[in-house]
Amino acid sequence: MESIDTFTLLPLEMNPSTKEITANPANAALEKELAALNALHRGLLNAGTPNGVPPPPVPVNPTRSAQIGKLRESGNNEFRKGNHAEAVKLYGLAIGMALGRPHWEPSGLVREEVSGLLSNRAQANMAQQNWAEGAVDAEASVEMKKADNSKGWWRRGKCLLEMGRLEEAEVWVSQGLEFGAAEPDLVQLKSDIEKRKAKTL
Amino acid sequence: MWPFDLVDWVMLSIPIAYLFILVGSLYTFSSIYRKRKAYRAASLEPWFSPHLQRNVYLSLLHQEDPKVPDSILKAALLRRAVEDISRIIQVRSQKQALQVLLQRGSVGDDLWQRFQRAEKEIEDELRDVVSEANAFAPNWGQTIFQTASELAQNAMLRDRVNEILSTAESEHEWWDKRKSKIQADFMKELDEEKVKSATEGSVAGSVAGSVKGAKTVSDDDAVLVEGGGPAEKAGKGKKKKGKN
Repeated sequence: MESIDTFTLLPLEMNPSTKEITANPANAALEKELAALNALHRGLLNAGTPNGVPPPPVPVNPTRSAQIGKLRESGNNEFRKGNHAEAVKLYGLAIGMALGRPHWEPSGLVREEVSGLLSNRAQANMAQQNWAEGAVDAEASVEMKKADNSKGWWRRGKCLLEMGRLEEAEVWVSQGLEFGAAEPDLVQLKSDIEKRKAKTL
Repeated sequence: MWPFDLVDWVMLSIPIAYLFILVGSLYTFSSIYRKRKAYRAASLEPWFSPHLQRNVYLSLLHQEDPKVPDSILKAALLRRAVEDISRIIQVRSQKQALQVLLQRGSVGDDLWQRFQRAEKEIEDELRDVVSEANAFAPNWGQTIFQTASELAQNAMLRDRVNEILSTAESEHEWWDKRKSKIQADFMKELDEEKVKSATEGSVAGSVAGSVKGAKTVSDDDAVLVEGGGPAEKAGKGKKKKGKN
């Protein structure tokens, strides 16, 4: 980095109508950076805050949270009624909405929402015996929230067991036990996996 | 005039010259020394790679024709703050380890100097960003780094989720294949069991028959081979002869 008083002038150009910034000539890093910049700029414009600067992370705009909550509720209702495919769709919409939050809103909140929704979608997928999708959803849910997410750990473990990937399932469940201290469901699943393993050997 | 007449200027000039030369040489030495040191520090490799976001922001800021609107400048400033956050985190986390290594003598003084320069630079950089932010909107300087850190976190989080969710398709395909294979195996097993239980008696006869058939076939083959062998050999011989 140069000293505080100098900088490198980059060959940047602005499209007067779309306000997109482009570089000429460009290299890969610069192009990537400008793409991120243009995306952020669009996001800022869409946010429509009074003086054009993003608001502080808290408090959060409640409309989106309410919409996500509503979608989750209707997903839960469909699941209870047994329309599992419909529930998967609704949860998917809610996940898309949670991930579509403006990027300056608290990431912890996004983690919380997305992890819960993905875990629910995993369950809906499992109810339809879509083990592969269920496993992926549960994995993503755990990735978002490792501690206190024993349901997520259990669901992926179960899916892997159902698909016959016993080795993976065992590793996964023992990892889960490290995070979610001796959850009875997980312990039960672990012994199931061991039984299956003993049978196949 | 009274006091100046008594002073012997020639004799006084000697100590004055002495003092002058002494101070002058000390000053020259120190200035040269400091210049060299600064040059050496400047010629050290910088700790961080060039600050691309800062360059983008300042390039946009200095663009005259046409002037870049404020909204873009704000976005560029935010991008710059995001990069600064990652740099300050790096500096903070590396400082402890580097100090320990320096005390043990595991790393050279050069590295420490480079690090200290980077630390100072990043401090200046943060101050600069805050003042720029305050120039755009009152009190933005207080929240810009909070916002930037959330931006960085959120970007990372979405990357991770999308990466995992993008494996869903290939996993699905794998499982479909696996499932159909398991089903096929299962059906085969069932069929075999059926065949075994239904036609246990006729198996012996058919096997014997097929064995006989195989024998006759193999005999025929042997005859054919014997017939073909010499002809081939002859052909080869002829070719060789032709060449010679």
